[in-house]
Amino acid sequence: MTFVLRNHYEQERRIAITGLGIVSPLGRTTGRFWECLTSPPATVETAERSPGTADFEGRIEDFDELPPAIKKTIRKSLKLMNRETQLGVAAGQQALLNSRILENYEPDRMGICFGAGNVSVMPEDFQSAVEACLDEEGDFELDRWGPNGISEIAPLWLLKCLPNMPTCHLAIINDLRGPNNTITQRDVSFALAIAEACRTIRSEDADAMLVGATGTTLNSINLVHARLENEVSDHFDSADSESHDECNGMPFPSEGAGAIVLEDLHAARQRGATIYGEVLGAASASCLGHDGASAGGHALAGAMRQALRRAGLLPSDIGHIHAHARGSAITRAAESQAINDVFGSTGLSKHVVTTNGRLGNAGPGTGAMEMVASLLVLEHGCVFPSDAGDHLDGHRLNRSVNHGGGAVWDSFLSLSMVGRGLGSCIAVGTSDE
Amino acid sequence: MKRRAVVTGIGCVTPIGTNTREFADSLYAGRIGVGRLTVFDAEHYPVQIAAEVRNWDVSQVGLNPAQWQNCPRQTSFAMGAGLQAAHQASLADARIDPSRFGVYLGCGEPFEDFTAFTRAVHDTQRSQQPFVEHALRIFDPDAEREYEPDMPAMHLARLLHAGGPVANCVSACVSSTQAIGEACRMIQFDEADVMLCGGAHSTINPFGVTGFQRLSALSTRNDDPQGAVRPFDADRDGFVIGEGAALFVVEELEHARRRGAEILGEITGYGSGQDAYRVTDTHPEGRGAVKAMQRALQDANLVPDQINYINAHGTGTPLNDRVETLAIKQAFGQQAYHIPVSSTKSMLGHATTACGAIELAVCLLSLQSGVIPPTMNHDSPDPDCDLDYVPKQPREVACRHLLTNNVAFGGQNAALIVSRFDESSPATVRVRWAA
Repeated sequence: MTFVLRNHYEQERRIAITGLGIVSPLGRTTGRFWECLTSPPATVETAERSPGTADFEGRIEDFDELPPAIKKTIRKSLKLMNRETQLGVAAGQQALLNSRILENYEPDRMGICFGAGNVSVMPEDFQSAVEACLDEEGDFELDRWGPNGISEIAPLWLLKCLPNMPTCHLAIINDLRGPNNTITQRDVSFALAIAEACRTIRSEDADAMLVGATGTTLNSINLVHARLENEVSDHFDSADSESHDECNGMPFPSEGAGAIVLEDLHAARQRGATIYGEVLGAASASCLGHDGASAGGHALAGAMRQALRRAGLLPSDIGHIHAHARGSAITRAAESQAINDVFGSTGLSKHVVTTNGRLGNAGPGTGAMEMVASLLVLEHGCVFPSDAGDHLDGHRLNRSVNHGGGAVWDSFLSLSMVGRGLGSCIAVGTSDE
Repeated sequence: MKRRAVVTGIGCVTPIGTNTREFADSLYAGRIGVGRLTVFDAEHYPVQIAAEVRNWDVSQVGLNPAQWQNCPRQTSFAMGAGLQAAHQASLADARIDPSRFGVYLGCGEPFEDFTAFTRAVHDTQRSQQPFVEHALRIFDPDAEREYEPDMPAMHLARLLHAGGPVANCVSACVSSTQAIGEACRMIQFDEADVMLCGGAHSTINPFGVTGFQRLSALSTRNDDPQGAVRPFDADRDGFVIGEGAALFVVEELEHARRRGAEILGEITGYGSGQDAYRVTDTHPEGRGAVKAMQRALQDANLVPDQINYINAHGTGTPLNDRVETLAIKQAFGQQAYHIPVSSTKSMLGHATTACGAIELAVCLLSLQSGVIPPTMNHDSPDPDCDLDYVPKQPREVACRHLLTNNVAFGGQNAALIVSRFDESSPATVRVRWAA
């Protein structure tokens, strides 16, 4: 890297990324994920799955190679997990295994922080209870819910659908007794989770943190909300490129999870861990008091500037930008403007990458999958190609260009935003001695 | 030197008071907020009692109720508590850099409108049409947009022009405790100067009552609402669902001093820990709670005999109260027998994700008044619960360092310590905690 590290926390612990996990519509291993990302869409075999569905059927075989005791615990717990939780747990297990951190760790010194969506109330969990409340005409009688309906609900239904369940199950399965939290802040959840985990390590409340996010816009209630918020296409029926164009860049509903292991850089080096990158800066900002379409862009620009300052980086140091690039055309225009505002003329020559056309909108899980994709760019030293569904006004998407400053494999900014006025940015670089 | 986080504003909307003065008066009078459930018709439910917030609407903090009618109850409570705290801290008069002002709440899951949801389930079962398309036709879109846990934080950031980080966490019954602790961390790490933090929740709806009823967690003393929540009592049989909010303006010390803000207390300690045992049960010895309390003590650089009062999680379930007692004894050793411990859930019911924030408000009010609230309905001592639970009567105590402890389904635990503000606070020096 060409820049001099001036980390905001340089007197404190530096944070290394030492494990990756992914469960996505493009595969459930990092190898398969990268292979799919770098292949033309038409050549990617997705078997019988419908568009946006993760390569995961919820069987114990779908989890990574695991020690027998852990496999046994997961098998027993599967019935207590909804789909989002299963995806999050699978991605988390992969990241832990990949990092090899559990070969020698103190349970009290390792915690978890995840991003997740709202409680998932599934219609199918209520069908038998609703049937038990029908009158002679076959109409639903609300008055019968107390005496007839409640007892038809599964005893542990509430625990199955709470958003904090991925972190609880991961803690139980792996005996991780450190700080444990779940952030439910839509598409910026994962970035907030990374920032929180970094503070946890730097404050010495833990030595390592498993960080991830899981989400879906495929389940019924989440899809209703995503459609109302204009976050997914409402006339998308296949994942081919033509449909993307019809959607004018609006992502298709999808699901998925990603996870990374963060730990003290010094400790990671001492144990000989593979270091995929270093978290150099993290920031989030809001602009909710301002009406209008540009609120999210203003917030995002503020977050980018803060993250760069905390990382001690200049815009020209950044190798690639992983754009949010979701939402309405107005939101994408606001993001594009934010990149221009922060990067100035150098922004036009940056690699701006997006995976939306391939991954869709998996709610909070998308940010985590994007982070894994960009970390794989650092590892492989090249970007993945663009897709017909990728849109961000005025920026070259996923195309190689020559420019000064950091190379694509040196560093990146990962951007997330909520159109109505939230933005977040994580700065990641390769870890130099 | 650690940046210090001080409290300059408190707001609360609870079943026993919809502002801090009413709330404090009720706490020390031992007023119990549990009664017959009225938010929806629960006549045919196995559980018919709750601790409801009554006589409240957002006009009391200057908002137009018509503009907030589509919001879930928790959003209304959060607006009340948030604007009260901002008013007490005089935020409107302060020239705060918006980019250094954030919001971090622990608001829980707002469930769908039960009537519309069950109707959609029924209609789609009968007609075999897709649930989503039908729901999009019959759900109220304005209300649906509000059914996200982060909406209170987003609304407050908008109303108060906070331009810094905005976050919401959900970690069951420790959510708001963690939100406050993490907000303090943001200040300590120089990521913000001012944070509005706390939590709000209401599970007084058919989904919430159904879920907790199926977990066998609720008291079924329908005939005796006032005696239903009995923390640490031998005859306890479960908790009563409550609701409410407490929010705080937490500020970096020098920032508060520069603008002449009144300092109501200092958050000196925060600790979090996981049982890593079972989703449904706490660890039999409460190991996560022990760690959370020990980490909070270490964070505050305090030893057990410096704590003057513990506000316990104290739900009134047979398991929680026994295990929490064990955890306090492990964390505090013999000193546990000399520290007064009370559960204000005996008056407030269980406000789930908001309970930690409300209980921190209890501690801050005790710092100011020098009076700690009682555990109501503590009539028959339980041999497994053998600490000083301050039964039925408030008590004058020299309050300097107070700890609040929370425990959650899923094994999450968190504790906060609030201290009387002292220039030479021991919390300014940080030592690494040794296991």
